[in-house]
Amino acid sequence: MPRPLEKLVSLTIDGNEVQAPEGMMLADAALKYGDVEIPVFCYDAKIGPPVGACRMCLVEIEGIPKMQAGCSVAVTDGMVVHTNTPTVKAAQEAVLEFILINHPLDCPVCDKGGECPLQDNAFGWGGGLSRFIEPKRHFEKPLALSPLIAIDRERCILCYRCVRFSQEVSEDDQLVLEERGADTFVTTFDAHPYVAPFSGNITELCPVGALTSRPYRFRARPWDIEQAGSVCTLCPAQCNVSFSVRDERVLRVMARDHEGVDDGWLCDKGRFAYQAIHVDERITEPMMRDGGELRPVTWDLAIESAAKLLSHAGANTGALVGGETTNEEGVLLTHLMRETLGSNDLDSRPGGALELELLRALNAPTLQASVPDLQYAHAVLVLDCEPVDDAPVLDLRLRKGVRHHGVKLLIGSSRPSALDQRAALSTRFAPGCGEAFAAALGAELAGQSSASLAAAAGADPDDVVALVAQLRDAGEEVVILWGERLTAGPRRNEGARALLNLADQLGLDGQDGGGLLEIPSGTNSRGLREVGVLPNASIGLADAATAGRDSQQIGEALAAGDLSAVILLHSDPLLDQPSSALWQRALGKASAVIAHAAFLTPAVREHANIVFPAESYAEKEGTVVHPDSRVQRLRRSIARQGETRAEWALLAELAAKIGNDPKALTCSMVSARIFEQVPFYAGLSLDLIGGVGVRWSEREAAASFPAAPAAPFALDAPPVAASPNGLLRLGSFRSIWASPEVEASPALAFLHPRQRVEMSAADAERLGISHGENVTVASNGDSVEGLAHIRASAPDGTVFLQTSIPGESAALLEGPLVEVKRA
Amino acid sequence: MAWDPEKDVIEVIRGPKEAGGAGGLYRAFGETLRGLKTTFGQLRMGVDTIQYPEEKIPVYPRFRGRHQLHRFEDSGLEKCVGCSLCAAACPSDCIRVVAAENTPEHRVSAGERYAAVYEINLSRCIFCGYCEVACPFDAITMGHDFELSDANRSDLIFTKEMLLAEPIERTPLRAEGE
Repeated sequence: MPRPLEKLVSLTIDGNEVQAPEGMMLADAALKYGDVEIPVFCYDAKIGPPVGACRMCLVEIEGIPKMQAGCSVAVTDGMVVHTNTPTVKAAQEAVLEFILINHPLDCPVCDKGGECPLQDNAFGWGGGLSRFIEPKRHFEKPLALSPLIAIDRERCILCYRCVRFSQEVSEDDQLVLEERGADTFVTTFDAHPYVAPFSGNITELCPVGALTSRPYRFRARPWDIEQAGSVCTLCPAQCNVSFSVRDERVLRVMARDHEGVDDGWLCDKGRFAYQAIHVDERITEPMMRDGGELRPVTWDLAIESAAKLLSHAGANTGALVGGETTNEEGVLLTHLMRETLGSNDLDSRPGGALELELLRALNAPTLQASVPDLQYAHAVLVLDCEPVDDAPVLDLRLRKGVRHHGVKLLIGSSRPSALDQRAALSTRFAPGCGEAFAAALGAELAGQSSASLAAAAGADPDDVVALVAQLRDAGEEVVILWGERLTAGPRRNEGARALLNLADQLGLDGQDGGGLLEIPSGTNSRGLREVGVLPNASIGLADAATAGRDSQQIGEALAAGDLSAVILLHSDPLLDQPSSALWQRALGKASAVIAHAAFLTPAVREHANIVFPAESYAEKEGTVVHPDSRVQRLRRSIARQGETRAEWALLAELAAKIGNDPKALTCSMVSARIFEQVPFYAGLSLDLIGGVGVRWSEREAAASFPAAPAAPFALDAPPVAASPNGLLRLGSFRSIWASPEVEASPALAFLHPRQRVEMSAADAERLGISHGENVTVASNGDSVEGLAHIRASAPDGTVFLQTSIPGESAALLEGPLVEVKRA
Repeated sequence: MAWDPEKDVIEVIRGPKEAGGAGGLYRAFGETLRGLKTTFGQLRMGVDTIQYPEEKIPVYPRFRGRHQLHRFEDSGLEKCVGCSLCAAACPSDCIRVVAAENTPEHRVSAGERYAAVYEINLSRCIFCGYCEVACPFDAITMGHDFELSDANRSDLIFTKEMLLAEPIERTPLRAEGE
């Protein structure tokens, strides 16, 4: 459904004329437009429609004989509201007295003390005295609702916020209220721990101290901490966060509500993986390999040695850039590589280089959908990605769209999606056949026969027809949320063409409220491409003077000895790149591996000669670009831990040592240089970006985006998906929990994934495998072990394994077919 | 106006320019004797000096001296639960509390939490007593000790152990009616 039109109505609140949008709830309108606070507990606009459970917000409305709950009454024209009459006052005092009957007086030991809505409301609107002398209700406390959340049921005021979050926002349906009346308590329906990707949000929602974060338990009081706003760079969703900092340590991460980015929610990785900043495993000093082992060295020695190794290798240096790199670091790396060492072999895309023309077409500002478009579009097509794993917070946005705005959700993916139940239609295709699937959709939309293409994609032809019928009926505002996987692999260019054709047929170019939205593989993938961290593009997606090798070719050249040194900037090819075997060979052969890393991930531990400590996202400054083209700013929130230094400064110093000083004295100087040199960023400044970011595609300067060829493109016939023929197709996915930060965070360690082999019940039965059993997946002599995980929704003939986990990663296997056996 | 160094010269008069005769004698001895009259006049007033530190003035019961933390007399558990309200109330920001959680094996205070670190920087404290007022458990009170000088600033940061320890009785308390 398109965005609702805003119509203003005027009403009177406490004698003042107020203009507010029609349909807004009175409590919101009074606060936002009338500067009158109506106290609430159970209501929060971001959870969804009100339920009126707590009765804290009672107000008098003329013409209605009884008091009304301000949270559940929408404003109408000519409404006259009184919020501080004696009747209202008496009601507020009575409600608070009632709520406090059972609320224990343990504020001094409660973690919410000082930032507690119940304290604030009792102080602001309460009567001050209670007439109740009866004993309060007692529960066992504190209990662990999950390893991340502590529950104290005595403090609960039964506002339903957490239960509504679980049932209506994250839709995991785990939290329920049991029993009745004063015996009511919050629990999970099966009494198992509440483990879900978004569970941490309930600690922030709880208006009392009933649900508190266990990692933050008793760490600090609100007056002990400072809030520092920045951006989470653990995934491409780039949620806006606020760090609670005490004594130069991040103690907690809270959402910094931004409607255009995260809608006020965080995933548990973003909320709890901050712990990895302060663990002992983190690399906080430069290290060099000495006698086969990495040993700490001084900065001077490390920089000197790195400069020597790099100038020795010269143009025979390659660089892989990971997604957590900021634009500033990216630009300084291109300076180091291109202008200083004379090498064009640098890449930030793990899947190999895409033709520059296609990259421009995919990133064209007129074709970009924004994150809120997901919520208001007529239809959203999720293509070859799994939002909850790839950019978790978008999963909540899609659910909100379906639930509250009637978005028609269509899914085309190879792996079963968490969103399947909410989708109008979900279609499966064979892993790696996104191109054929997109081509099939395109053909069907164009009125041609799609049956052969659907068969090539390993999809059900009827599903393709049905999906296209749904797309046609939906309306013109269509968003395609697609994963970078679609444009990775050997047929990446064809995949991009098929996608662009599909967008063209749906008329998405220039469509308001519709377009393409990519979920890239790395956090700042979009920014890195735009500042030219690509083998075939320079800054601003301009043509590179000479095209270099892409990530795949860098690996091959290293293995063949054509390249001798490689810089791994926040990138571990053994985790990120599609083929581990190639990179094992490549790194083994490389004479110099210089890594910037925060953790000793496999490639760093086994192969790096010199390791520079990487800053964590709370220590970093710079800019990053959200996949929907929002340029956001990272701010330094804590002092750098240990001997860590600013990485932009390190890259500048390395270049200067080698003999080509980039003359970057501060990070903001580099930012300013980027805004000058990228034509479509023109006129941006750090001040303009501020705390909320700026979508460059919405600005006038976007007109200077390099011209791209227009669709339709001619497509050649995609290869036919391998037929299982007794074996199973290999699909891979990257779990939300597969990251070194999660592994290093003590609170999240229980979530860090082991390899699990997802397969359908039919396949498991055929192979005689039962759920939870150890199985071996083998192809061409390589094998990976994992636990069998039978999923009812998994398509027959395909097995799914995780990538990006150390050890038993799917990247060790060569597809497309694998053999699965009991171990 | 530019500064003229010449104008800043002050002539120091060290004595009469010429010997003064009888007037000079009076000025030399008479004035001295006049002063001594006041001095000797005070002799009959007796001695008021208190021989501190051998002698001390007793303090009033509500005198706000160095803080003390308290334990429950029966269980020996600390009264402080590490709620940090004293730190919030402190106008000179001299209290630092880091809380931790009690476990059945390691129980320090009566509540769920206890103060793992409790420090007062006494070189910064203004002895206003707001911490005592803010404390919901009467865990911190202002004692009577005012002898807090030390040779080292960092020694004036009192830790929880120092504040919990029985204070050395070195300040006399004023008795009723004294």
